[in-house]
Amino acid sequence: MKIGLVLPELPQYSETFFNMKIKGLAENGHEVIVFTSEGKETERSGFRVVRALPTSGKGKAGIAVNMATAYAKLLSGSFPEARRFLELERNSGRSKREAMKNLYLNAHIISHRTDVLHFGFATTALKRENAAAATGAKMSVSFRGFDINVYPLKHPGCYSLLWKRLDKVHSISGYLYTKAIGMGLSAGIPHMKITPAVDLRSFPLKDAPGSIHNPVRIFTVGRLNWIKDYETAVSALGILKRKGVRFTYDIAGEGPEMERIRFAVHQAGIEDDVTFHGKLSHEKTSDMMRRSDIYLQTSMQEGFCVSALEAQATGLLCVVSDADGLKENVVDGVTGFFAERRSPRSFAERLISVIGMEEAVRREIAMNARMRLEKDFTYERQKELFNDFFSGLNKAA
Amino acid sequence: MRKEELTVAIYSGNIPSTTFIENLIEGMAESGMNIVLFGKMNRRVSYYGNVKIIPTPQNTPALALFVLKESVKMIARDRRKFAKLYSSVRKRTGSPRQFLRDMGAMLPIINEDPGIFHVQWAKTVQVYPELFEHLTGKIAVSLRGAHINYSPLNDPSLADAYRKYFPGVSAFHAVSEAIKLEAAKYGADPDKTTVIHTSVRDELMNTPPKEVKRDGKFRLISVGRFHWKKGYHYGLDAMNILKKKGVECQYDIVAQGDVPEEIQFLLNEYDLNNSVSILPGMEHSKLMEKVRSSDALLLPSVEEGIANVVLEAMAAGVPVLTTDCGGMNEVVKDGENGFITRVRDAEAMAAKVELLARMNPEQVSSITGSARETVRMGFTRELQKKNFAAFYNKLAA
Repeated sequence: MKIGLVLPELPQYSETFFNMKIKGLAENGHEVIVFTSEGKETERSGFRVVRALPTSGKGKAGIAVNMATAYAKLLSGSFPEARRFLELERNSGRSKREAMKNLYLNAHIISHRTDVLHFGFATTALKRENAAAATGAKMSVSFRGFDINVYPLKHPGCYSLLWKRLDKVHSISGYLYTKAIGMGLSAGIPHMKITPAVDLRSFPLKDAPGSIHNPVRIFTVGRLNWIKDYETAVSALGILKRKGVRFTYDIAGEGPEMERIRFAVHQAGIEDDVTFHGKLSHEKTSDMMRRSDIYLQTSMQEGFCVSALEAQATGLLCVVSDADGLKENVVDGVTGFFAERRSPRSFAERLISVIGMEEAVRREIAMNARMRLEKDFTYERQKELFNDFFSGLNKAA
Repeated sequence: MRKEELTVAIYSGNIPSTTFIENLIEGMAESGMNIVLFGKMNRRVSYYGNVKIIPTPQNTPALALFVLKESVKMIARDRRKFAKLYSSVRKRTGSPRQFLRDMGAMLPIINEDPGIFHVQWAKTVQVYPELFEHLTGKIAVSLRGAHINYSPLNDPSLADAYRKYFPGVSAFHAVSEAIKLEAAKYGADPDKTTVIHTSVRDELMNTPPKEVKRDGKFRLISVGRFHWKKGYHYGLDAMNILKKKGVECQYDIVAQGDVPEEIQFLLNEYDLNNSVSILPGMEHSKLMEKVRSSDALLLPSVEEGIANVVLEAMAAGVPVLTTDCGGMNEVVKDGENGFITRVRDAEAMAAKVELLARMNPEQVSSITGSARETVRMGFTRELQKKNFAAFYNKLAA
């Protein structure tokens, strides 16, 4: 089967989720083309890359020349597809101008024949809803946290056309799928939940899983943005400090809310206990995890949260919020612990109770987490599931 | 120097400036001081008294001509000093346009060389450091909000600029005792710092206070632009807690600008869209009407100097609930003239709302009565004017 994967940019080496997905598909005999705006049109370890036409730079004249070339190419090579695309666009209520613009945006996709066109994010499918139908391919999409939790806040109704065009849906958590149904996705469209997986070799079990240092070492990985709610983490640690609990708190990540988080740290009086590491590589993150005791995730909401999965693989004690995505990631009282979203008091109580647990109980929790990961969240299992996802889609045709 | 000869440059970089700076200009001009203003002229303004305006043009040709003229003036007076200024600004600025802008901002000030140069925004020491090296008169710096409380935490170069230039400043004006302490960390000598509080309009004190009525839902209001420091996310947490407890509330947020994703997210997550209204910024008299029609004003901020809107609500006889951020506890005494909680504590905020909602009208009147008295004693225009006049006269002596 020929699978077209539409991504906003080529997966970096660190984005193992995509790399493994592509690798797995190639191993199962599928031909994979990655359509993307970034990166060169090359063969890359088993898949071909096709780049989108530039939409910025070179000024208006440059774009005009590019547009003219693109339309000429389409006219000669893919005339029927281009015509169908424009028809579909007009039938979707888009103006002529919009339709022509979108044709340019989709030119690299519709000039290739694929059996399935899969969009790595729902937001990547916006303005590209008609590309699959124009070429006669099946259309599928992956839901991630940002697509469902954040983007529609400012763009209500943004997916109404996408919902009409989809043949199959992949969601990284059951929660995101349910929320999409609430946003108008038809329950009749086939769907599969395939959670992220962890490369267990890159995140080996640490020495003495479940153990606690003094001061206790607490760690969080994630972008410094509002949805991760670092303020709640910081306030909770402020409570620990006032209660005389000694700790260090390491934060790996960068993002727009640095000033806000630093001020919270200052206000909580824990400046000497907190270290900002910036964005860390996979290897360094894994090292940091092995040196830490507790993984803390206070997010207001999560699609699923790979970092919490990696922390469980490493044998850390996970204290996470009861955000819906995290509830499918951590099993409360079995592989980690929940605290109430947005409640510093709840997080502080939870942290104190975990620190106070008997060593044997903590070890059991950490080992439960590792075993669950080894059973249900391996790359091998994920590869199989993705193969099923696409095979099922082709059969439906 | 005799009072009538005293020339004070009140410098914010914008003409006209923010309300409180405009009040200061008017007040000092009325007291018979010679005022001089520099910076970008946003619109025509006229003042009573002796106010000289030296605007810096904004469009490039006019700016270039202006810089040339001012340069000639400075060269004629002191060539060596000009050379020093020129090379310093050249070295610091990246583009020719930036160079022109910086020279255009500083040259007229250096040429005028006012007896007192009063910098309204502390960050000016980082933006135009040369001013602090070339002026021969006394320099005063106002210590306000974010410039002292959190910007230097996240910007080490700003903290360094403060440490470098603050020791050379003749006097500081702090908007609260709290900020005086904070600025001392960057070398603002507390012995050279005078706390002068903000003030409210006289007409607010002259209108009869709001009558206490209790009918149906408890109406809360918050006022201020959307910014994380305003703590609206904590306000919404408090609303969620109240809703769960069955306390019926209507919460109005009067704020300019786009509703941030985070706020929209929490409104949806807590299902508060029916009990929370977001109203666009409005003209002051309308705003005060809106505040008067509320049962309490909530200030959920994590950072403030002393929030004017709290003083205004107190003057209007509307009960206030505020966090103890910045200088707020210099105004509000819990249970006496309002209510005060720790910052970032939604549970405490909710508890105070509940407490107030259950109070009888006599108890509420007693609190609002003493709130009015607080404003009358310490936050009138007259007092602020007197304090600033004394501040400048002492500096000139």
